[in-house]
Amino acid sequence: MNRLLVVEDEEHLASGLKFNLEAEGYRVDVEDNGESALERLTGGSSAVDLVLLDVMLPGLDGFEVVQKLREAGSFVPVVMLTARGHTDDVLRGFELGADDYLTKPFDLSILLARIQGLLRRKAWLQKESAADRPDEPETISFRGRRVDFPGQVLERDGVEQRLTLMETTLLRYLTQREGQTVDRKELLEEVWGVRQDTDTRTVDNFIARLRRAVEDEPSNPRHLLTVRGVGYRFVAEPTPPGVT
Amino acid sequence: MVPSEIRRRKVVLVSLLGALLIAVAVALNIGWIVVSWRTGLLLLVGIISFAVLIAGLALNTAFLIREIRRTEQHNAFIHAVTHELKTPLASITLYLQTLKQRDVDPARRREFIETMLADSARLQSTIDQVLLAGQTGSARRVLNPTDVDLSEVVGECVTVAGKRHHLVNGEVHLVDRLPEGAEAVVVGDREELQAAVTNLIDNAIKYSGERVKVAVELVKLGARKVAINVKDQGMGITRGELKNVFGRFYRIPSSLGARVRGTGLGLSIVRAVARRHGGRAYAESDGSGKGSQFTLELPLKPS
Repeated sequence: MNRLLVVEDEEHLASGLKFNLEAEGYRVDVEDNGESALERLTGGSSAVDLVLLDVMLPGLDGFEVVQKLREAGSFVPVVMLTARGHTDDVLRGFELGADDYLTKPFDLSILLARIQGLLRRKAWLQKESAADRPDEPETISFRGRRVDFPGQVLERDGVEQRLTLMETTLLRYLTQREGQTVDRKELLEEVWGVRQDTDTRTVDNFIARLRRAVEDEPSNPRHLLTVRGVGYRFVAEPTPPGVT
Repeated sequence: MVPSEIRRRKVVLVSLLGALLIAVAVALNIGWIVVSWRTGLLLLVGIISFAVLIAGLALNTAFLIREIRRTEQHNAFIHAVTHELKTPLASITLYLQTLKQRDVDPARRREFIETMLADSARLQSTIDQVLLAGQTGSARRVLNPTDVDLSEVVGECVTVAGKRHHLVNGEVHLVDRLPEGAEAVVVGDREELQAAVTNLIDNAIKYSGERVKVAVELVKLGARKVAINVKDQGMGITRGELKNVFGRFYRIPSSLGARVRGTGLGLSIVRAVARRHGGRAYAESDGSGKGSQFTLELPLKPS
């Protein structure tokens, strides 16, 4: 059974969410402030599979919580709930390491679908063995880099770096289509699940974060290439500069 | 960088620039006097025009800083109102969808309905607050004054506030200190007065934290005035904040330990209502952690 943590200080919303999530068969804990949520998540006994995180919390706000969580090395999927739907807020959440977001008031079925989607992706990355998907290896290597998809780890020149669930999923999607150009809309639909309300800049944002992990010079990418006006393309072995 | 940080830097930069310009002007002025003290009349004209220049610069800088602050408060207000409107709406939507999509047993269903009613009351009070802030902010006088019995209004406010905050064991109580048989009648707008008193009581409860103990006193001040004192034993107010709290959109910084929701309109409405009725509103506190007392002073109806 998946265990969820709801971090929400508004009592009514918290208990409404708990009721619905329990009805879906999840085990649900509730924290009403950022500090105690962070303590629970970074504590040794944490077995939380997914976090629903409100942005406007007393004390530490949701942005700070997700940032500190990632800094502390926890890569549990995080869905942020915000009252303000400003693109800037959403992008900031992603920048700090959130996996998904919803604006209040949200639709119950969409919330449940997003949670399910993230948990499914997590299971897909972690549990299914290579035997089930012989054509989809669990790790790939290219030019001194090694990506361990189930472990959500990228190793570059011997240095390990953790990736968030959505970063891993995005990288996997692109590496499976090596050499092909994938447009932003396709990425939004296939990696994040269909949605109309998400800005395609979300994709750019995640690519920027991936570049910082993958590339030697993020501003001069050689593996995760921008195809102007369309989308992105992954190249495993870039041709050396000067050779055409 | 966080937008508010950028803004703060800009404020610092503008303030520094203003201060620097003033310093330069003063230095030039003094220098000029030293160099050309002989030239009598011209000197006088020069001093005056420089003084005007310096005053203008100082005024301009002060004005700029005030405007920047106001914009900041305004943004914070929009943010707070968005939150105050969207949170209860999100809750109502969630419960309605739950009822629509799931089989909920009757007891739970009742509970959900109570929750939704509480949320719609919260929405209503935010909307009322915003509308009232617009109304009291625009005109100087009450439009249709009538005779209002304050003991009745205050008694009602105490009862309603207690119920709304689920405080039914006398945590909020009325202390009637009017002389035997005396009435406290003021001329004004009943709804506005009710809103002002309710805001004071709500604040006292909200800033009391866990242990709520609020006394609402009705006292006669001499022959012509009546005061409503709302005393709490909550977090108190530091000396520097006592005046600020009545400012429109102003909210005590959360760094001072207040984890309280609101729009920053409540006390500005109280002050506006007091002024529109020819009275005043003020706050007293012995400092942080020592509780506070808010007073709404109104002129009695001349007998």
